[in-house]
Amino acid sequence: MGKVARARRAWPLPRGAAVALLVLAPATAEAAPAWIDKLELSGYLQSDIRFDIDNSRGPVPGQGYTFSLNRNDFDLKLKFTPHPDVIAVVEPRVRYYGFVSSQTLAVADLWNASDVSPFTLYMDQAYVAVKGVPSKWIDLKAGRMQVTWGSVDVFSPNDNISSRDLSDPLDYTRKVPNEMVEIDAYPTSRLTLNAIWIPIFQPSWLPPSAPLAYSVQKNAQGCLTQFPAPPLTVAQNGQLEKLFTAVNPCALNIPDPSVTTYLPSNKLTDMQVGLRARMKLGDLDVGVNYYYGRFGFPVAYDATVLVSPGAPKTTINYSAEVVYPRMHVVGADFNYSSHWLGDVGVVGDLAVIVPEPVSFALGIYENGSQLLQLSNQNVPGKAFVKGAVGLERTFGSALYVDALFIHGFFDEFNDVYGLHNYVSLTPELHMLRDRVKLRLASILDLTDPSYVFYPQLTWNPLPSVELMIGAFVLGGDLQPKNPLDYASRSKFGQPAAGRDEAISRVTVTW
Amino acid sequence: MRFVFATGLTVGLLIAGLASADPPAPPTPAPPPAAAPAPPQLAPGEILAKMEAGNNASADQTLNERLTVVEVDGTRRIYEFTFQQKGSKRLVEFTSGESKGMSVLVEDRDTVYVYLPGFRKVRRVATSAMNQPIVGSDLSNEDMATTSWAQTYDVSLDKEDDASWWLALTPKRGVVTSYGKIVHRVEKSHFLQQETHWFNAAGTEVKSLVASQPTSTDGVYRFRLAVFSDPRTGHRSELETTSARYNQGLSDDVFTLRQLQWGK
Repeated sequence: MGKVARARRAWPLPRGAAVALLVLAPATAEAAPAWIDKLELSGYLQSDIRFDIDNSRGPVPGQGYTFSLNRNDFDLKLKFTPHPDVIAVVEPRVRYYGFVSSQTLAVADLWNASDVSPFTLYMDQAYVAVKGVPSKWIDLKAGRMQVTWGSVDVFSPNDNISSRDLSDPLDYTRKVPNEMVEIDAYPTSRLTLNAIWIPIFQPSWLPPSAPLAYSVQKNAQGCLTQFPAPPLTVAQNGQLEKLFTAVNPCALNIPDPSVTTYLPSNKLTDMQVGLRARMKLGDLDVGVNYYYGRFGFPVAYDATVLVSPGAPKTTINYSAEVVYPRMHVVGADFNYSSHWLGDVGVVGDLAVIVPEPVSFALGIYENGSQLLQLSNQNVPGKAFVKGAVGLERTFGSALYVDALFIHGFFDEFNDVYGLHNYVSLTPELHMLRDRVKLRLASILDLTDPSYVFYPQLTWNPLPSVELMIGAFVLGGDLQPKNPLDYASRSKFGQPAAGRDEAISRVTVTW
Repeated sequence: MRFVFATGLTVGLLIAGLASADPPAPPTPAPPPAAAPAPPQLAPGEILAKMEAGNNASADQTLNERLTVVEVDGTRRIYEFTFQQKGSKRLVEFTSGESKGMSVLVEDRDTVYVYLPGFRKVRRVATSAMNQPIVGSDLSNEDMATTSWAQTYDVSLDKEDDASWWLALTPKRGVVTSYGKIVHRVEKSHFLQQETHWFNAAGTEVKSLVASQPTSTDGVYRFRLAVFSDPRTGHRSELETTSARYNQGLSDDVFTLRQLQWGK
């Protein structure tokens, strides 16, 4: 482990201090190694360069074949153990972007580091854990943490404690850190109990491409070609369309919709709680859990369209509000592996979700008078099920294969879009004694269909050093099959899913 | 999508039997303790049992290990990890390399848990992953998770000379292993596991172990260096114990899921 050496102090000493120093010197000499042993340092440096390899998935067609990311992350994790049963963990991360903040930077701002070399400071972890308090078999943790529940990686519907950080969709395992209090109890070696209290809700972070889900489509002349369908019925969206078909689309000025999130309050009524029990039953690990809180992704709640006739164009402002509905989740998960099953590992997660119903309302107003009012049940209040089950197996020492069936992606909440079914298949080939790995991750939406293909070739030339090249490719219909049907958007094909990218990454860990 | 569990699981009976014991001074080559009187005629099972008993002589141990992977072209990669053992349970934490932060708990041969820093969670390891090499070395997860050969293999005496017994081990009926046969060379004076040779089902030797640099500290007599190699390719891995502590009174709590995720 990397150790942090204590800085040597060189303060001038008053004359009388010399005697004290002589007396204390042995103790000081003894104390230094003790402090060093209580500190542990780790982290990584990662440099990431990406290049858009599509020319059609951006905000406007033709915005491709450019560098899209030039990023450096410096992560530093510090563990301090003042007592064998106490640990404090702090993990800050500095992220530097290689681009200036704007291509039209003012000359007067060229001194400003935040514009010329923008960066962000993250705090991924900052918590204290105490073992054996208040009882020998209970641990307490409090602070800023990231918690993962469920047996299935990434797609577990029981994994609701920490929201997801999808600000970089290629880094899809990241979570949004949040302040919480956790009590872990270990009454027997076969049983683990967890209770988590989260006072303040933190929503998921979305990809930069997410606003494209709401953007209007225009042709090269700036004329409206398509408006994103709100979560109404097809018939209602037909009514909406009729309202504007009589108008020359080139005579409409429609800025991109503004979408506002409504976060829950900081009241006690909006806190979240989670309870979990995990047991070992022979070759089977099984868990049950309950969560009460909020769905981490936004759900459309209402929208207002303001029509302002004018010359030469009529301006249409569309503003929408999204909410994070409450939900009860009762779930179970398991992990099983045994020789009699051909050494195949089986994992599964099942969750029954009882959502807070969400009604979507849309009002259209012209000069203050209502033209049309439409509403629809976006999320019914009835319970629905999400789940995932998977198999994994290693063949020889070179090939690992992981396959999953998923019902309900992590951002799906049985709203008008519905719940899709997916298959994920990931073979990984290990070569040159694990120094080179070829990983071919893929997800196919069986409902659309659309897909993600994420091949990665990694090379560890030296311990702690990893070089990776890869590509992130999305496939499916760019436009919905039926522009009036909110549910007909292609999951991975729509521009809001992101860009096709080539990736080059270097990581050094310590 | 899951991240493959591609690196090592744990260090098992081999290391337990090959480590040095030298707190706090560095291990030093030591003359072997006085040899026991010439052993009476022993059954192969008794020899294996004495060898395993010697490997597990201490009630518990904490070893700091340096694993040097030597490629055929001479390129060397060095990894470090900490290994704790009590009875048949082991806890391993990688302290360097790309697997740093990954911890592994071995409860028994088929029950292995790993803490994956990337997912920030503990996962049970599928049994099919047991034959994967550890960080590209010549040690597999199965080698490391083995707690007792006697439980898994039938044993017979292959040959004998003045200094050593050569024990041949074949899998017991119904037991699934990656090897068709294992041969141990057990030196007679102290029942030390001095060499081991692994053969696949076709009878080809796929791995060998040669131990050296015997040291003795606190009454624990062990080899300090073990060289694993693949006779087919010349690839080898050197496992060196850089420091060790024995009989420290490790709590059973160290070898639990609770400890595996503590402070992560």
